[in-house]
Amino acid sequence: MGVVIETVALKKTYGKHEAVRGLNLSVRAGSVCAFLGQNGAGKSSTIKMLLGMIHPTSGTGSIFGHRIDREKESLLIRQKAAFVAEDKRLYDYMSVAQIIRFTKAFFPRWNHDLERRLLEQFELPTERRIGQLSKGMRTKLALLLGFTRGCELLILDEPTEGLDPAAIEDVLQIVVSLAAEGTTVFFSSHQIAEVEQVADHVLMIDRGKLVLDAPMDQVKEQYRHIQAVFPEPVEERDFRVPGIEKVRTEGRTVSLVASHNVDSILEHVRMLRAGSIDVLPVSLKEIFLEKVKSR
Amino acid sequence: MLLYKAWAETRVRFFAGLIAACIVCVYNIHVHAWQVEMWTHDMQNPNGYHFSWMPLGIHNYGWYLWQYLYNNYLQQVWALFALLFAFGGLIRERSSGTVLFSLGLPVSRRRWLFTRLAVAVLESIALSLFAVLVVVIGSAVIHQSYSLTQVLLHTALMVAAGVFIIAFGNFCYTLFPGNYLCLILTLVLLGVPYLLLQTYMQHLRYFGRTTWLRYFDFAHAMAGPWLLNWTTVPWMTLLATWMLTAAFAGIAVAYGDRVDY
Repeated sequence: MGVVIETVALKKTYGKHEAVRGLNLSVRAGSVCAFLGQNGAGKSSTIKMLLGMIHPTSGTGSIFGHRIDREKESLLIRQKAAFVAEDKRLYDYMSVAQIIRFTKAFFPRWNHDLERRLLEQFELPTERRIGQLSKGMRTKLALLLGFTRGCELLILDEPTEGLDPAAIEDVLQIVVSLAAEGTTVFFSSHQIAEVEQVADHVLMIDRGKLVLDAPMDQVKEQYRHIQAVFPEPVEERDFRVPGIEKVRTEGRTVSLVASHNVDSILEHVRMLRAGSIDVLPVSLKEIFLEKVKSR
Repeated sequence: MLLYKAWAETRVRFFAGLIAACIVCVYNIHVHAWQVEMWTHDMQNPNGYHFSWMPLGIHNYGWYLWQYLYNNYLQQVWALFALLFAFGGLIRERSSGTVLFSLGLPVSRRRWLFTRLAVAVLESIALSLFAVLVVVIGSAVIHQSYSLTQVLLHTALMVAAGVFIIAFGNFCYTLFPGNYLCLILTLVLLGVPYLLLQTYMQHLRYFGRTTWLRYFDFAHAMAGPWLLNWTTVPWMTLLATWMLTAAFAGIAVAYGDRVDY
C-alpha cells in the first residue's frame, strides 16, 4: 500500500519554543491513523503544516506526493484532503444550507447522498444560522462538511470534542465506513477509547517528537504489563533489558511495561528468581500515559 | 462563492454606506438655496466675507456640487466606507476562529485577498454611482442644472484615486493586531492626516496660498480641479497613487503568504 502522508525531519519553532522537533512520520493509504499526544505536544502544529496553514521551520513533507511547503501543491492537497479543525468555528452569518452550498462549490466529488443522510442523522436545521447553533450542532455541521467532500484523505483534529456519547458513536461509525470505502483517515484525539475502537495505526507524539509509530494490532499484541514478586527487594537497574519501557519497584514487587521482546524479558525476570510472574495486556491509555509521562 | 462570502460579510456596511451617502447628498442639495442666499448676502454686505469663489458658488450649481460633495463631505463619507469595505480577510478570520475552515478549502491565500479587495472596490464603485443617482434625483427636485459629465468624471476620479484607501486599509488590517483595534488604528492613521491636511490646504487655497504639503493632500487628489477634462485630470497624482496602491497590495500579499495561522 502506498504512503499518503510523509514527513521528513519536519520542524516548527515559535521563537525559542520548538513545537515540532524533526518529525518523521508516514501514513499508509486506506489506514485509519490515530495521532495521539498531550495538549501542546505538537499535533495541531503538525496538521497545520501538512495543510499549508503554517510554514515548517525546516524539514519537508508531502501528501499524495505533493510538497506541503509549496503553495501551488498545497492547493492540490486541499482538493484531495478534507480537514476538520479542532476549533470547529464556521461562518456565523451563514445558515446551515448556505455553508453547505458554499463548501460544496469547491469540491466536484461532493457526496450528496451522504450529505442528505448526515443532515437527517445529525438533525441539523438547514435554515438556522450557524451563530444560533449549539456547540454540538456546530461540531456535527463541521464534520458533515468534512465527511461529504468526497476526498481521498480525511484529516480530523479532535473530531468528537463537544459531542454527546450517541453522536460520538455515530461519528466513529461514519469514520469506519469511509475508511472501508478507501478513504485514508488521519485524526488526532484525546479520547483513547475512541482511538482503540477505530484506528488501525497509532502515532504518538510528545513534545514535538514521535514516540510511538506502530499498527494497533502490534501495539495490542506486543505491549505487556509484567508484574513480578521477588524473595528479596530488587532495584530498577536490574531491569535494563531491551524492550522494557518502564520499571516501577515497590519493595519486592516490580512492575514492568514491555513494548517488545517479552519472552527475553520474562527469561531475565525468571533468572532474577522471581517468585510469581503475571503477564497482563496493556491498554492504549496505559501506553499513552507511559510514553508521555516517562519523558 | 468567494465573492458571495465577501459580499455577505460586508453587505451591512455597504447598505450603511448607501444611507450615509444619501443623507450627505440630500442634505447638501437641500441647503443649496440657503447657502446661495447667505453668500449673496455676504457679497452685498461690505463687512461680510468676500472669498474669490463666492460668485462661482452663487451662480454655478456644478461648482457647488463639486465643492460640497466631491471636494468635501461625500468624498469623506466615501473614503470612510471604502476603508470599512476593505476590513476583513484571513487575518481577521484568525480572531473570529474561522480561518482554519477557510484555509482548509482549496483556495490560495492570494485568491482570498484579491477577492476581498475586488469586492471592496466594486462596493466602493457602487456607492459612488449611487451618490450620482441621488444627485441627479435631488437636483431635479430643486430644479438645478449641472453637467452630468462633470459629476461622472469627479466620481471616476474619486474612485480612481480612492483605490489607494482600500489598499492602504487592507495593508493595515493585515499588519495590525486585534480585531477592532486594527480598525481604529487604521481609521486614525489614515483619517486624521487626511482630514487635517484637507482642512488646512482648503484654508490656504481660500487665500490663494499653497505649501509643499500639497503633495500629501490626498483629498485634493481625489477631488481634482472643479472643471475636469482630459488635460486637467491630475495624471501624475493618479500615477503616484496607483503605484502606492500596488506597493501596499504587494506588501499585504507578501506578508499574507508568510503568515502562520
